[in-house]
Amino acid sequence: MGERMRRAERPVMRAWNRMGAVVAVALLLGACAQTKSFLTSESLAQKPTNPRVLIMPTDVELSELTAAGLLEPNAAWTEMGRSNVDAALDSLLAGLNTTVVRYDESSTAGSDAETQLLKLHSAVGASILAHKYLPALALPTKKNKFDWSLGTGATALRGRYDADYALFIYLRDSFASGGRVALIVVGALFGVGVQGGTQVGFASLVDLRSGEIIWFNRLVSGAGDLRKPDLARGATENLLDDLPL
Amino acid sequence: MTSTRATGLLAATVLFIASCAQTGSIQKIEPGERPALETDEAGLWMQMDGVEEKLRTSGKVVIDPDLNAYVRDILCRLNGSYCADIRTYIVRTADFNASMAPNGVMIVWTGIILRTRNEAQLASVFGHELAHYINRDSLKRWREIRNTTDAAVFFTFATGGIAGILAGFAAYDSIMSFSRDMEREADTRGLAMMREAGYDPRESAKTWQQLIEEKEASDEPKRSAFFSTHPEAKERSETLAKLAEETDNSGTTVGRKRHAAVTAPFRGDWLLDELRQRDYARFEVLLNQLTEAGTEDAELLFYRGEMYRLRNEDEDAEKAITAYIAATESGDAPAATYRSLGLVQWSAGNITEARAAFETYLAAEKTAEDRAMIEYYLKQMQ
Repeated sequence: MGERMRRAERPVMRAWNRMGAVVAVALLLGACAQTKSFLTSESLAQKPTNPRVLIMPTDVELSELTAAGLLEPNAAWTEMGRSNVDAALDSLLAGLNTTVVRYDESSTAGSDAETQLLKLHSAVGASILAHKYLPALALPTKKNKFDWSLGTGATALRGRYDADYALFIYLRDSFASGGRVALIVVGALFGVGVQGGTQVGFASLVDLRSGEIIWFNRLVSGAGDLRKPDLARGATENLLDDLPL
Repeated sequence: MTSTRATGLLAATVLFIASCAQTGSIQKIEPGERPALETDEAGLWMQMDGVEEKLRTSGKVVIDPDLNAYVRDILCRLNGSYCADIRTYIVRTADFNASMAPNGVMIVWTGIILRTRNEAQLASVFGHELAHYINRDSLKRWREIRNTTDAAVFFTFATGGIAGILAGFAAYDSIMSFSRDMEREADTRGLAMMREAGYDPRESAKTWQQLIEEKEASDEPKRSAFFSTHPEAKERSETLAKLAEETDNSGTTVGRKRHAAVTAPFRGDWLLDELRQRDYARFEVLLNQLTEAGTEDAELLFYRGEMYRLRNEDEDAEKAITAYIAATESGDAPAATYRSLGLVQWSAGNITEARAAFETYLAAEKTAEDRAMIEYYLKQMQ
């Protein structure tokens, strides 16, 4: 209501906005590389046989890119994209000799603690993108090593789902609106490059015995379309490119 | 070049107009209504649902059942048919604010509850927010922003240079004044709901008047009127006062008793949140207002003392001591009053008084976390 309506969302949303900005920058810089992943060590100490992998609720959002470059979230596309990505994850992981365990989104048991875990993963993921992918923000204490963790709180998931690993997926896909396409055409006439829609995302694999993020990958692409099952599968494949399972 | 630019502009305009599918008037939302999946509105809801999921488990959300029930009760009294569509979140934050998201998430800062003197004042805030929801103002604003920035970016491309920058400012100004119109409309509609629910509508303007007094005292630089989404507080206050005078206010209530009773357990914490902003002049006005509205109880006296102690200018030490002593004399002063009194007396060189105050503090607060520290102070004084 107040004088400061624009500030209304500050305390709760500012942190997320800031995180969103870091994610956006980290995802877009160095866009030449399709994917770039990190692993805690060269190979897993003991590669588990037929591990049980818990797929956390996939964080997918599809938007339309307006002429001015704003993102308008689209619920119908998001629903489509998310179900395509989920289907791709199921089949890709099944092919890797793993047993897929689905996170139960309907249940309320322990849901608050698990929501906190999802929030924590978003925060840690954003930190990894910022500090491992942006050389200017590299942390001296994390030079030449990859030792990020969600903490021992994550091990609660192991008990509830009897899973060895948890896989977190974050994907954003955007498509140029009619106006943006027009601007791209006009831009081309003037010799100015205007960015179209972009597909970005990251994935991480968490060891549920320790809470450590043992593998992390980032995806950036100027092409692709999560609304189409085959292209969604391709994007998911790229994202899980060198998953150590 | 000119002809290329003209061709480009033409092409852009044609494509742009074709792309502006979602315009036209926006109807009020019906109770229980959900946007259709294919709409831009559904996208806004989806995004805010995600924010809500995170907010739900935020440590800043006040979960006290009584306070939440109180807030909901006012909301439902204002409009029973929409109250099932609104989810209220009381967020512990200093300062005056509340907001409404397109999906019915209403955020209420504790700073606004602290500042409202009665139920009617709180109802005036909720009525305004509820009007935003019913009017679908988030959707209107989003479309306005989208269309205006689209137009500005084409203008920039077509003209280039300084004209484009001016177009950007014009777009911003247009969005802001669009918002101000929505705020005025929400004020009017909120006031009507408030009157309908039996709350004295004159309290609405008073809420703004109180805020103006605070702001005038504030050390914070004044906001630029150019970039404000809300009509200036003064204008709002005057308009609301005029509207309230035009209505029949007989049989309305302000509801002071319940407001005081429900908020009393939290007032100390919320005052501390305000004090931590370290805008002492503004805090003093707030304290004065709260004192005028009720009686200067021990808690308010304690925080008055805290304000002087922390500001620590010219005669603040003496003023702090006076306030602390008054607090202890008016009965049920927080134990921390004696600790603060001890600290100020010690700084002022009044060792005997300081010692007595610290000892009273330790006797009153058997499980004081800082017991060892205070005992160390006492030893230092020997």
